[in-house]
Amino acid sequence: MPNLRLIQAEVLKLRRRRGMLAVALVLTLGLLAVAYTVGVIQHGGNPGRYDAPGGLAGFEDSLTFLSVMGFIMAAIVGSTAGSHDIDSGVFRDLAATGRSRTALFLARVGGAWVVVGAILAVALAGDVAGAFAFADGTATPGAGDIAQGVAMILVSGALGAALAVGLAALFGSRGPVIGILIAAHLVFEPQLQGAGFLGDARQAIPTSALNRIGDQATEGLDYRVALGTAIAVVLAWVAVALAAGAWRTRTREI
Amino acid sequence: MTSPTPSDPGSPAIRTRGLGKRFGTRAALDGVDLDVPRGVAFGFLGANGAGKTTLIRLLLGLARPSAGTMQLLGRDLPAGSAEALARVGAIIEEPRFHPHLTGRENLQVHAAARDRAAHGRMDGALARVGLAARGDEKVKTYSLGMRQRLGVARCLLSDPDLLILDEPMNGLDPAGILEFRQLIRELVAEGRTVLLSSHLLDEVEKTCDTVAIVDDGRVVAQGTINDIVRGGQRAVDIVCHGPVEAARLLAAVPGVLRAADHEGALRVTLAPEAPVDREIVTALLRRLLEHGVDVERVAPVRSSLEDRFLTMTTRLEDRS
Repeated sequence: MPNLRLIQAEVLKLRRRRGMLAVALVLTLGLLAVAYTVGVIQHGGNPGRYDAPGGLAGFEDSLTFLSVMGFIMAAIVGSTAGSHDIDSGVFRDLAATGRSRTALFLARVGGAWVVVGAILAVALAGDVAGAFAFADGTATPGAGDIAQGVAMILVSGALGAALAVGLAALFGSRGPVIGILIAAHLVFEPQLQGAGFLGDARQAIPTSALNRIGDQATEGLDYRVALGTAIAVVLAWVAVALAAGAWRTRTREI
Repeated sequence: MTSPTPSDPGSPAIRTRGLGKRFGTRAALDGVDLDVPRGVAFGFLGANGAGKTTLIRLLLGLARPSAGTMQLLGRDLPAGSAEALARVGAIIEEPRFHPHLTGRENLQVHAAARDRAAHGRMDGALARVGLAARGDEKVKTYSLGMRQRLGVARCLLSDPDLLILDEPMNGLDPAGILEFRQLIRELVAEGRTVLLSSHLLDEVEKTCDTVAIVDDGRVVAQGTINDIVRGGQRAVDIVCHGPVEAARLLAAVPGVLRAADHEGALRVTLAPEAPVDREIVTALLRRLLEHGVDVERVAPVRSSLEDRFLTMTTRLEDRS
């Protein structure tokens, strides 16, 4: 069982990394604010050409954006959580307390989820507020749309953080993990989604599962994932990443 | 979950038998039998690369042994490591911390991995190592000496029965070393056991009651400092006129192994079976005076731990 005191300690370590938190906030809330600001200026200047940045359509667009940026932010926070004890050399002292290394590892996951979840919650609150504030008379998102959007963003963040913590434990450092996850999410996954010869195997691509959870349009794609499959795919990726990270944490000689 | 192994309170704080650790073909530890009694300051002496830190890593469960058995506070390892390590505080090599956190926050992180009472021991631990006033500063602003102190404070969070301190005096100024020495003696006076791993022979001699000397992965001697120092060769330095003649005369005295020039004096090395100092010195003087050799000064040579260490250990360049 994850230990609450260890998770609180993990959150403390992440909370005190001001630089990382600033980057995480800029990537999510900051860029969202920029997107709305640009949308408002464009729409105000030429309403015929530019749609209102808010409303249901704007909300769905921003969800796609927030899903990607949330995943990247989660990769940064998660890889930091997964590696900072090893990078600083503190892991050796923590392991020497006799505390289960699996518990130490799971606390990193818990801590990363708390921080990522808090940042995404703020960003989502801003997004929903923007969708209503800048609808300019167009249809606004309903409770179901918001619930699906929140689920997609939080699951995207949770998945990104879990993958990052697991990989960071595996590699023992942060930099390569951020690079790998960004490249996978932005470059390889879209390519794989379009690779028809892979058939139903493409349902295992995380982005496909996340889009299904958020009921997002998957234009140009010739397959659709069932909701149950999407949830199973996300859980499977989380389980694989955590199992790999926990194994490496248990077996690492320090 | 592993069921706790029973603890034997009468057992040594640390016991190893045939303990070995190999890195590829190189044996970092080879058949180590070590007994650290409870309630003492125990010096673990060895040159750099002799295997001190490797042994500590094995005891703390940070690496797995290639051979042998270990007991910590009466519990078999690794089966009872969680229970045993809960009563152990350790500094392994240089103490490491999260530099972006304050000293107190670092202790908070560590306390979370300890028992629930550990959090309540933070202030006392900081005060005990003289960091109460600097506890809320970030560790990246700390000197090495302050980090060493914070490392000890971290050890104290578990109210340990055993402290394992690996080179804890590195980076301390002379006053800091003195305070540290006093702290260790206080901890021992409280009934705790302190394992002090070091290559600073003088500090170990001043601080510890019992020592083990490790060389090239093997324990080559262990016992009280007096026993180990006594195990060395005895000698007497004599300053006299006509040292060449004197050396010839003294070499013939029963109990004398050799007599040779040594830094301006004549060093007379005694055999193990030589009589006590009073008798042998009298015999040496009588021999010289009977042959008309004037004697200026006679001084028995006190063997130090350093002398014994240097005779027992291999220099790095001599290792194959």
